[in-house]
Amino acid sequence: MSQVRSVRLADVTPGSELGEVAFGPLKVDDFVAYAEASGDDNPIHQDEEYARAQGAPTVFAMGMLNAGYLAHAVSDWFGGPQHIKRYKVRFTTRVWAGDELVCSGRVVAVENGLVKVTVEARRRGSGPAELDLPEEETAIVGEADIELPE
Amino acid sequence: MAESHIDFELPVTADHVGRFAAAVGEENPVLHDPEAAHAHGFPDVIAPPTFSVTQIFQVPRDERERRLGANLDYGRVLHGEQEFLYNRLPVAGETLKGRMRISKDFTKEGKRGGSMRFVTYESVFTDSDDEEVLTAFYTLIETAKDPGVGT
Repeated sequence: MSQVRSVRLADVTPGSELGEVAFGPLKVDDFVAYAEASGDDNPIHQDEEYARAQGAPTVFAMGMLNAGYLAHAVSDWFGGPQHIKRYKVRFTTRVWAGDELVCSGRVVAVENGLVKVTVEARRRGSGPAELDLPEEETAIVGEADIELPE
Repeated sequence: MAESHIDFELPVTADHVGRFAAAVGEENPVLHDPEAAHAHGFPDVIAPPTFSVTQIFQVPRDERERRLGANLDYGRVLHGEQEFLYNRLPVAGETLKGRMRISKDFTKEGKRGGSMRFVTYESVFTDSDDEEVLTAFYTLIETAKDPGVGT
């Protein structure tokens, strides 16, 4: 994902899929790094024992870490973060250490020069044994408006 | 007596931007390399789209509760939604000013019974010219039943 190519409005077709980008498998170290960088130091994301005492089988990712990966994917699809004019996410399930976060999106429309996209991030992995989770499920649904050069 | 808003500042440093970008796997040089940022017309590296959420964690939850008075029971609270509207992204070297307030607070009946309360904290970020940079909406959901733990 290090190669970000520029995208022009003419390159965008309503209805087109944006591809699929997988981050991870996520590690507790990634949660620790995000805690340090974001200031979200809730121990439920870092401390096994604390998480269990709160009723979770183990630690899980911050929602905004997952939202950050998804925003990263959107940035790369459209030539950089500076093109994003609106980004909205809704969190639907937790993402666990060991999961991959699989990001995808679709161009819905081009309206008044803005590219409207829907995006999704799915957790993929076995998850904590206690929870008997499906191998893959939606963790974030969202949308973004993108402004591109003509 | 609750206050109507909390004023804050968010200093944007290249170091913090770089660490935040790395934490979400970002290698785009506009976030890491001033030369690359210049080439795109920015005075310095720019912050990733979700960077401004760091402001939420500058105000401890207890202080936010005490000052804005949402009266949430955090044993039943999840981070449900997040939205950002951008005029532009923050640039390293500037200090944004901001104002956070509760912009929405409503209760909705759940599909399987039990109501959910949605509380949205709106943070408006402005620059040194008093131009609006971005607005963030941080929405917490308080569930009727104890769901275990929050996100």
